Amino acid sequence: MLSDFCTMIIIQTKEINMKKIFTVAVLAVMSVYGFSQTQKLDSLKESIENHQGKLNALDERVLVNESDLAKLNKIKVSGYIQSQWEYYGKDLVKTNEPTNTFYIRRARIKFTYEPADGVKFVLQPDFSTGNLSLKDAYAIVNIPKLNGWTIWAGQFNRPDYEVEYSSSSRETLERSRLIRAIYPGEREVGAKLEYSGTNVPVTFQLMAMNGNFTGANAKDVDSKKDIMARFVYSAKMPSAGLGIDFGVNGYFGGNRAKTNKYVNESNGTLDSVKVGDYLKKQWFGGEIRIYADVLGGLALKGEYIAGTNSTPSIIAASSTMAQLKASPNTVRNFSGYYLYFVKNLGLKHQFVAKYDFYDPNTKLSGDAAKSEIWYKTFTLAWQYYLNDNIRISAQYEMPQNEKNASIKNIAGTSNVQLNDNTFSVRVQAKF
Amino acid sequence: MKINKIFSIMLIAASMATATAFSQAKITVKGSDTMVILAQRWAELYMKSNPSATIQVTGGGSGVGITALINGTTDICNASRPMKQTEIEKLKARYNTLGVQIPCAKDGVTIFLNEANKVEALTLKQLSDIYTGKIRNWKEVGGNDAEIRLYGRENSSGTYTYFHDEVVKADYAASVESLPGTAAVVNAVKKDVNGIGYGGAAYAVGVKHAKVKKDANATAYLPTAESIGKGEYPITRFLYMYLRNRPSGETKKYVDWILSSEGQMIVTEVGYFPVK
Repeated sequence: MLSDFCTMIIIQTKEINMKKIFTVAVLAVMSVYGFSQTQKLDSLKESIENHQGKLNALDERVLVNESDLAKLNKIKVSGYIQSQWEYYGKDLVKTNEPTNTFYIRRARIKFTYEPADGVKFVLQPDFSTGNLSLKDAYAIVNIPKLNGWTIWAGQFNRPDYEVEYSSSSRETLERSRLIRAIYPGEREVGAKLEYSGTNVPVTFQLMAMNGNFTGANAKDVDSKKDIMARFVYSAKMPSAGLGIDFGVNGYFGGNRAKTNKYVNESNGTLDSVKVGDYLKKQWFGGEIRIYADVLGGLALKGEYIAGTNSTPSIIAASSTMAQLKASPNTVRNFSGYYLYFVKNLGLKHQFVAKYDFYDPNTKLSGDAAKSEIWYKTFTLAWQYYLNDNIRISAQYEMPQNEKNASIKNIAGTSNVQLNDNTFSVRVQAKF
Repeated sequence: MKINKIFSIMLIAASMATATAFSQAKITVKGSDTMVILAQRWAELYMKSNPSATIQVTGGGSGVGITALINGTTDICNASRPMKQTEIEKLKARYNTLGVQIPCAKDGVTIFLNEANKVEALTLKQLSDIYTGKIRNWKEVGGNDAEIRLYGRENSSGTYTYFHDEVVKADYAASVESLPGTAAVVNAVKKDVNGIGYGGAAYAVGVKHAKVKKDANATAYLPTAESIGKGEYPITRFLYMYLRNRPSGETKKYVDWILSSEGQMIVTEVGYFPVK
């Protein structure tokens, strides 16, 4: 009994010792673990702080990059390259000169910068073969509180339909003879007020310009500015799939007789004016474009312009009277028109027929007209849109000329229809 | 002789082009993000009842859709704004058509506020002042003394353009955070007590809708079927489909179905408002 009691006491004492040892052991482990955890937490905290710092630095970098990217997004670069092969009619080729050629017709890059809503700057050089020229350099500003009204300033296209219609979209490879003659180089230096209606389908353009641009950058040669105005109304008849744009335009300007008082009039007579007087440069035009949805798009587009053009004499004022009379200023009554028929066939193909007429001197005809003969040009063209960027064009241009004694073919025969037809193939890459 | 040959070649090319011009295997639809859920629903249901038809719908924004229509890479463009004159001119230049505009649904551009925001109604002038940065604190329009945080869409979005032209009527403040899609705008406002956003009515879930009134003396309206149907809600707009030419074949069938009562029922289901 006693021995049992003693045994029990020994066992209990052992259990108490075991518990103590266990408790001490647990406490020891916990303190070591706790110490290690505190160390880990400190290290984790430090690591988080480090990473936080790195993230903040990255954040700043991203903000800087975003800001730079936002500036870059305001710059747009577009352009096109037109690579062309032409085959000429025999009267366009002088002896021993090539009958055909490859060349770069246009190679343009257009930079557009929009620093803010309603402000745009455009710069467009042309790099075509043997030519580096500035085509466009202008700014457009939206007039505040006048929705649709803009002011343009710099060098840009004159306000005329065929002039403003980009050669990258135009259905024939070149503009009409009339437009090329009265708007050489297409651009002018000046300022323009334009309204392009959003709710009212009206376009109004009023431009003041130097009036003597011929393709080169030129300051004005006189103090008066030439004015162009154009008004177009766009009617829509959606149920009939029809749209009609019609409008009028006018040019009001002049050229100063700077050195020569003699003027060769349209009818061939020699008149005189005072040196310093202005020679008339004024014409009016009417334009119409009909768009119809007939098994795909179809368009008829035309413009008629008639008026008076003038060319100042550049001979020195000190020249003899005979020399002055031989190189007079000229004033010419002219007229001309163009008419396009365009039919789209699906998404890829477009067939074009165009007829244009230009008479640089309506007062004289036959032998009296000398080199100022009329031309009627019939053009057939076909466009293939390979994709968004590539367009392939084939065109056959057939000019007909007024016959007279001054117009001779390559063989030297006068009063003939010249063989000056041209066949062209163009590949245009646009981006 | 030479002219005859060239003329013949051109005629043959034109005939070949005509033969291949009108073949169309599937209908592609691209454009407005506002309309993408509606367009997808239309496409799903139409394809279910017309198994031979394949309709591929993608978003990207109205501007992206219109560019695709001009480039010829989509058959139908969805747009939450009307086409601009400059865009119509591009269509004219490339396809010699003015495009075909089909209003297919109505939408009230909804003003999203956080549910904790105590502002109930805003005038068009206040909205313009908020989005141009003239009003910068909620207390100026009856809310808490807290800075207004602006959320909006990217400039390729038709909703961005529509809201700019019809409400803001000036340059957006530089502080507007541009987000890719109405869902992202809703989500941002949901999380931001001081946020404000705008977008199509179909996306306005989990945020408060501000009433809108024409001016301080006018009645304020929420974008509901009734207020939009009656033209009372001040920022009511049409949602459009644009095509290059008048539709034919499967495209015409699809467009006719969208405008039918069945198609218009889906407009209501999605959260927009039928045109008729």
